[in-house]
Amino acid sequence: MEVESGNVNLVSKEGESFTVETEVARMSELVRAMLDDDCDDDGVTEIPLPNVKAAVLRKVIEFCQHHRTEPMTEIEKPLKSAQMAEVVQKWYADFVAVEQVLLFELILAANYMDIKPLLDLTCATVASMIKGKTPEEIRKTFNIANDFSPEEEQQVREENKWCEEP
Amino acid sequence: MANQNSNIIQLEDGWNNVLKKGAIDVLERTLDDGFGTSFEPKEYIRIYTACYDMCTQRSPYNWSRDLYIRHGETIETYLRNTVLPALQDKTGQGGTILLNEVKHRWSNHQIMNKWLKKFFTYLDRYYVKHHSLPTLEQAGLQLFKTEIYQNCKENTTSAIISLIDEERDGEIIDKTLVKCIVELYESMGMGSLEAYTSDLETPLLEATRAYYGRKREEWIAKDSTPDYLIKAEKALGEEKVRVAEYLNPASEPRIRAVVEDEILQKVQMNLLEKEGSGCSVLLANDKTEDLRRMFQIFSRLENGLVPMALIVEKFITSQGEACIEKRQARLESGEKEKNDDPEFVKSLIDLHEKYLGVIRETFNSHHLFQKALKNSFEEIVNAEVGQFTNAELMSTFCDRILKSGGEKLSETEVEQSLDKIVQLFSFLTDKDLFAEIYRNQLAKRLLNQRSASDDAEKAMIAKLKVQCGTQFTSKMEGMLNDLAIGAEQKNEFDQRMEAQDTKLSFGVQVLTIGNWPSYPAPEVAIPPQMSKCMELFEVWHDAKHTKRRLKWVHSLGTANVRAIYGKKSYDLQVTTLQAVVLDVFNDGKTYLFTELKEKLNLEDVTLKPIMHSLSCGKQKILTKSPAGNKINSTDTFCANAKFSCNMRKIRIPVATVESSHNKLRVEEDRSVAIEAAIVRIMKARKTLAHQQLVAEVLSQLAFFKPQPRIIKKRIEDLIDREYLERSSENSQQYNVEQALECVEDGRVQYVSTAMSNNLTALPINHAGIILNDVTSLYLPMFGHEPRSYIASPDVHAPLDGNTSSMAKLHQSIKDFAHWISSFVASRNSPTFNSPNSTIPCRNRRNSTTGYPQLANILLTMRYLPSLTTSLTSEYGPE
Repeated sequence: MEVESGNVNLVSKEGESFTVETEVARMSELVRAMLDDDCDDDGVTEIPLPNVKAAVLRKVIEFCQHHRTEPMTEIEKPLKSAQMAEVVQKWYADFVAVEQVLLFELILAANYMDIKPLLDLTCATVASMIKGKTPEEIRKTFNIANDFSPEEEQQVREENKWCEEP
Repeated sequence: MANQNSNIIQLEDGWNNVLKKGAIDVLERTLDDGFGTSFEPKEYIRIYTACYDMCTQRSPYNWSRDLYIRHGETIETYLRNTVLPALQDKTGQGGTILLNEVKHRWSNHQIMNKWLKKFFTYLDRYYVKHHSLPTLEQAGLQLFKTEIYQNCKENTTSAIISLIDEERDGEIIDKTLVKCIVELYESMGMGSLEAYTSDLETPLLEATRAYYGRKREEWIAKDSTPDYLIKAEKALGEEKVRVAEYLNPASEPRIRAVVEDEILQKVQMNLLEKEGSGCSVLLANDKTEDLRRMFQIFSRLENGLVPMALIVEKFITSQGEACIEKRQARLESGEKEKNDDPEFVKSLIDLHEKYLGVIRETFNSHHLFQKALKNSFEEIVNAEVGQFTNAELMSTFCDRILKSGGEKLSETEVEQSLDKIVQLFSFLTDKDLFAEIYRNQLAKRLLNQRSASDDAEKAMIAKLKVQCGTQFTSKMEGMLNDLAIGAEQKNEFDQRMEAQDTKLSFGVQVLTIGNWPSYPAPEVAIPPQMSKCMELFEVWHDAKHTKRRLKWVHSLGTANVRAIYGKKSYDLQVTTLQAVVLDVFNDGKTYLFTELKEKLNLEDVTLKPIMHSLSCGKQKILTKSPAGNKINSTDTFCANAKFSCNMRKIRIPVATVESSHNKLRVEEDRSVAIEAAIVRIMKARKTLAHQQLVAEVLSQLAFFKPQPRIIKKRIEDLIDREYLERSSENSQQYNVEQALECVEDGRVQYVSTAMSNNLTALPINHAGIILNDVTSLYLPMFGHEPRSYIASPDVHAPLDGNTSSMAKLHQSIKDFAHWISSFVASRNSPTFNSPNSTIPCRNRRNSTTGYPQLANILLTMRYLPSLTTSLTSEYGPE
């Protein structure tokens, strides 16, 4: 069934190996760049990804596999809604409905492996978490301590007044 | 603080341990080995990850900037320390060696650049973008350009050029090598062709110029024009292939331009005029192949065909002149000059045929050459030799083809000959003269029933019509039409004749005046039995056509006269006038010339040739005394009782001193046409300088080209008659006078319009007739009586060709126009019923007041044709 037969083994930080169809793995520009260069390798290529944990890599592979059957629609910018279900297909919205920690790790993995759709999706998710919130709410969401003094905060507010106007 | 975090990679650590050792050193080593470069995924990932980590660490441990700089330095160092010395080493060892080294180093650089880009690719994704820097790849290329290319390009360029020169000389070179280096030049423009153009192409163009400059001198010195052109063609082809094989396509037009300039443009005239093998020599020897090549080669140059076409034109003209000289030689050697010289006309036709073919086959029917042919034939055909014009020779040539007993030609041959003569005719300036002569000859053929084929006549007229338009042939068509109607009406009248016992058989052909040439119509005293027939016809005809007037033209009539000499009788085929004369001698008396003249009411000029034909010709029906070959007023005549002849049917021809056409009439028609053109132009332009007016008149006249002084005379005449006036500001300008001044009464507009549209169509001064069969014949002239043109008794007054006739004509037209205007006004035409209010002011070109006037003119034109149509249908032959 595969357009291009052959698999690659993606190896996680911990050394866990995932066998993936080459076509799926090539969604990562990093993998692609490598495969393009020595495609004459007969055996299954082993690609170490020392920056990606197994749990994250599994998610990444899940994303790439699904993307083959149902490519993700381009996410409109600026976001038109804070609900991911309203900006992207349901599967993808569900895909990113994860804990913040995992979400951030996905972002890092997408960036490291250079998978643009995944990077778009995850970043958009973070953006949707910010959208429409007050600074206080944002701080709360991301667990950020307010280290401004009241004067500083006032000054910043003055400087950025424009974005609060209706 | 950073050191406390063991995960943080320090710059020098990361660089030295991973990037330098694991990547760059390995890369450089494999490049120098030349065994190919590749990195295992594991290796590659290690390098990538190191670079990624070093670029994603938080400040101050973010090494993006440092890595970017070191990337550049790596390349720079390698180029400087390894590549450049290697190249310098090869410089001076010969072009190919240097080029090969450059090729090797360039491809190495491409490999290196590629891998470095892959290693440091994370920089491209963010650092380069955010700082708007050259990408890693661009930076690598730029370094190669500054470090290597700038140093070696001059040597490389001259190496390439000398290879190309070698190839031009027929040697085999390593094209792949050159192509590879050309690609380097293309890359060095960083996306544009600038480096290629200035560093390679420009010197190459100079070298090309120099190379072909040498070749040109070499070839022109020893080769004939055809040989030279073969070499040039080959060189041009090779240059084209060369560009396709290993240069940038953009160079193609530039190289071509240089080569064309060097080997064609600069020696164009030398080649065309080369003694013994130039263009006219090739033409003279029908060197089709060489001529075609010459045409194709020079068509590459801008305006390159102009001089060639000029030579062709001169050549054809000289061929034509040769034909003319032959004719002249024949005339000088004592051949009698006639208006008939088929040999000469044929030679011109053949010449035209030949070069028409050459231009079609060899010169692709290129417009310049068609023009050349046209120009040369216009010169040839309009060069007059001897007393007969070419118009006359050509018309007579047609006459030979079209009359029975002339040339024996098949239908197809007739058709072809006519086609060719019409082609020749198209070059004639005096088309109107041809038309006049042709019409006379056509009239003769038709009236004497010497026309071989009605279809051929029609075909010829159709061809002329295609050439010159309806106006040109309308009269000729009218002539054929008269005959067709005549044939239809003959039966009807014949029945009527049978009912009346006139003892004569009698037929009439009615000719529409204006269509036919003018014939003398002597008012001869007709014997009663003949005039009775004529009366019968007049009665019959008048009943049928109430608005026509017949005028008999006895000079065209023929008669069969039975002459009885005792037991012997002869049928004499004579003209009507001869018959009338013979009739006098039925009483057996002897008459003095002057008595005859008085009795018959004939002039000397008419009677003398008749008497000569009857008494001094081969068949002496009458006896003249004293005998002699000249008719004097004192001579006496009587019937020759002793006449005898072997034949029963005898034709007695009358010597005629007729010219083939009436020169005066042609001139007169021209005057009318010129004046019509002047008025038409002036009505449109209002004010015009003399020179412009003359030029426009010339451009409007299709059938002849008058001398400017003749136009000037017409202008002056129009001024005298107050159609125009000299501009008060500038005596060289004219204004339309009356068209403006008289607008108020609507008159002159009609005058002008009538002139321009209808003048030539108005019957002016010709009455013709004929007869047929046995006795007399004539011709009615129609539309001559006052009522036919209502209030304008003089409109159709015949002109007799003297100088006052034009003035009379114009007066007539004015009256005619006046009548039409009152006619139109009386119909309450919305356009004309209040002219005073619509035309307020004088000659202000851009003011809106110009419009009503213009509208009037347009409407007038629309009215007139419909009026004439109704006139024609009312009075014309049905």
